[in-house]
Amino acid sequence: MKPMKPIIISAALGILLVLSGCSTPPREYYAVSGDRGSMTVTSRDASKPCKATLDAANPVAMHDGDKPRAGDISADQMRSRMTKALAAQPLPPKRFTLYFIEGSDTLTAESKAVVASIFDEIKQRPDPDLIVVGHTDRVGSVADNDQLSIKRAGTVRQQLIKLGIDAENIQASGRGERAPLVPTADEVAEPRNRRVDILVR
Amino acid sequence: MKQFKYPLAALAVAALASPSAPALAEQAVLFQPWAAGIKVSNGTVQIVHGEKTYNGRVGAKLRVNDIVITGENSSVGLVFLDNSTLTMGPDTEVELKRYNYDPTTYMGAFDVFVKKGTVSLQPGDLAESGPDNVSVTTPKAELKGNAKQLLISVGDAK
Repeated sequence: MKPMKPIIISAALGILLVLSGCSTPPREYYAVSGDRGSMTVTSRDASKPCKATLDAANPVAMHDGDKPRAGDISADQMRSRMTKALAAQPLPPKRFTLYFIEGSDTLTAESKAVVASIFDEIKQRPDPDLIVVGHTDRVGSVADNDQLSIKRAGTVRQQLIKLGIDAENIQASGRGERAPLVPTADEVAEPRNRRVDILVR
Repeated sequence: MKQFKYPLAALAVAALASPSAPALAEQAVLFQPWAAGIKVSNGTVQIVHGEKTYNGRVGAKLRVNDIVITGENSSVGLVFLDNSTLTMGPDTEVELKRYNYDPTTYMGAFDVFVKKGTVSLQPGDLAESGPDNVSVTTPKAELKGNAKQLLISVGDAK
């Protein structure tokens, strides 16, 4: 039986070489997490157009050079493969809301006090940047409210710059009446919707 | 442009860079927004910006066409203007191919190329206005959709 061994070994080696040939160029793995939403994986090789869908039922897919297909690793194995990437997740943004007197870019008295807590949060972060987003209620036209919301955000941005925040690190924008805190019919005055959201990130 | 009585409003709108607002293009030069900031940086992280290479320390900013590269045992976490987050594990290379974000309507486009390594992406406001706004390409595939978190591993895990 002894002479048989080299044949078996070389046959096994041959299979190994073929297998490793399949896996170069390197394999890719894709996964989604969460119970909502999906992702479509489309092969970029136009000669082999092929798709796979990732969702809660089929969270992992792989692509070994031929086409994307169901993954040969579990979602847990995928996450352990990603440990260091997942550990680099930044702190979630903290949201503050400031309210305005109707039709104006003047803060209510209560909201002036909130500015201090914004600065407390800024001090907690290694590289703070701020996103300032203005909103209006539904009194007036969409176009006027777009302008008013940008004006409110711009006023707050300017105040924050005066208080010492680097201008490069404050982005201001307005969402007009698109994102009410309290949904209302058109032309309804609603103080809770006349606001500026500040995200400290 | 006369409706923009306030310079800040003009700046904010100029930042939209929306394809539907070409008239604002001349104002966009006043404003040079970055697309993302580095919030977490461990080990060796570099940003390749044209012919220059910067240290990808916490606070460094990423612009369109920049490439982020992590070294051995390194990782990085980025936050984009639309609150998308992207994190990278060791020996990873990612290029920001396109980033247009209209903060008023949430319309725009966000394309990244993952050349190698491990990447986690949690799309932000841009994914809310359309599942096709966010696209990730790899050497073999293109991924689009509205998943809350996408994990990608290209090549051997490190």
